[in-house]
Amino acid sequence: MLSKEFTCVSLVQGKLDLLQENTHNTVNSLLIETALGLAAKVDIKIENGEDIGLLEGIPFGIKDVFMLQGTLATASSDLLKSYKSSYTATAIQKLLDAGAIPLVKENCDSFGHGSSSENTIFGAVKNAINTELVSGGSSGGSAVNVAKEFTIFSIGGDTGGSIRQPAGFNEVFGFKPTYGKISRYGLMAYASSTDCVGPIANSIEDLRIVLNIMSGKDVRDQTTYGSEEISEEAIDYKTSSVKTVGYFKNFIEADAITDEIKEAFLATLEKIKASGIAIKALDFFDADILVSTYYTLAMAETASNLSRLDGTNYGARIEGENLKDTYSITRSEKFSEETKRRIVGGNQVLSQGFSDAIYLKAQHIRGQISAQFSKDFTEVDLILSPVTPGAPPKIGESLKNPLAMYLSDAYTVGFSLGGLPTLTIPKGTATGLQITADKKKDAAVLQFANFLNDIL
Amino acid sequence: MSKIMTVDVLSSIKGARPSESVSTLFDVIKNANQNNNSLNAVNNNSVSLDDLRADIVFESAALEKEIIRANFPREKNGFLVVAKVIED
Repeated sequence: MLSKEFTCVSLVQGKLDLLQENTHNTVNSLLIETALGLAAKVDIKIENGEDIGLLEGIPFGIKDVFMLQGTLATASSDLLKSYKSSYTATAIQKLLDAGAIPLVKENCDSFGHGSSSENTIFGAVKNAINTELVSGGSSGGSAVNVAKEFTIFSIGGDTGGSIRQPAGFNEVFGFKPTYGKISRYGLMAYASSTDCVGPIANSIEDLRIVLNIMSGKDVRDQTTYGSEEISEEAIDYKTSSVKTVGYFKNFIEADAITDEIKEAFLATLEKIKASGIAIKALDFFDADILVSTYYTLAMAETASNLSRLDGTNYGARIEGENLKDTYSITRSEKFSEETKRRIVGGNQVLSQGFSDAIYLKAQHIRGQISAQFSKDFTEVDLILSPVTPGAPPKIGESLKNPLAMYLSDAYTVGFSLGGLPTLTIPKGTATGLQITADKKKDAAVLQFANFLNDIL
Repeated sequence: MSKIMTVDVLSSIKGARPSESVSTLFDVIKNANQNNNSLNAVNNNSVSLDDLRADIVFESAALEKEIIRANFPREKNGFLVVAKVIED
């Protein structure tokens, strides 16, 4: 753009055309007027010889669970099909302030409820590489848009793997930062205690730039913390001091893992070892405990968070005979089967007689998981794991078997419960690798990703 | 108050029933062994009392107020209409 070989308007128009024509079902709504208006302003700045920022004029996508004032925010749901954001999410506002141009609200699982981006009123998102397969979820539309280069980067939400798993399924990079590094203000709440905002991109450098812009303390989200900018030098692997990398033995010995993923993962460990880094096998919680703990807490939190969606103040409303009837008809008709399953599950574990045996026990186990991570990071610098036990399923399979879908999240949910920074690199196994560091060591994750990107 | 509320009432979803798949997950938690060492129970996401912000009132901009009104499901003669309230 700076060399005036093409204009920002032509760049943005080209991307909008690609998005409009695409058959992967990645688009919930296009932000044509906004995007072209902003692009024209960038062209004027360039024409006038003004300085432009690193992200100025760069087109990006937004998972349709974020607020962007004046645009539709549907959460891919029937209930919010016509809902317009009245304000803008902090993370998105920071990108706008840096000059990035939003192109599209992206298809995803409704309210983040799913691992395949099939739980949506806009049609199942098709995988970027093989359209018979799911895109993964819940940020499926975002990952596919980046993989197909319809957007330069996209902003997803990750509660239990929703950035990392679709990134792996579509062979792009996806980063869930430390919990609290990026404000959740303006992200529709699924499970507030693990919800994270994060970027999906085609390079580690793009992740770093976008992460730096979105990070920081926000008075509107009290769980945020102030963090220093991650410099280009800080993620240069030549300055790395990584001595030991750990992996969870039981992830690799599980029955659920396919031979292909297992062999590729073990081969990757060998390559790391050959470069002089020690590998340490770690004991960890069984996959069914991790998945059950995560879903117990996530369902309890989503039951509470989505109780506000009753058709009274916003969203669709179906009138009943009285107020309670209106609530229940609206929610029964307008929530998807998967969303209802999670709300009901959440209310089940929060109700008297169940909360001690299930909800409080799951909270206790979560504490143990966090303590185990703290112990592990006294012995290893980083933890490496596959993203998923198997390849992406065919479209239609996940909806038939919700339990199998929940269990497929086995390798991602633990890091969410620990609030740890975890990145998917699209190398090392068919669905990529996850790199995890201790809390607030996001730079170490990016640095090791650069190392793996080089040796794999 | 000893009134028993079923999940369909608690969830405000007509005819809702517990799911078999979800119950399978809950059974895993019920049967899990847990370490009783309370020191292990670390709540990582709690906000320290010293870090709590003061209550702040943010005045909404005119555009924000306009969109909030536009999002309201029903309007009649300039009034926002709620469903009939019942008491029990």
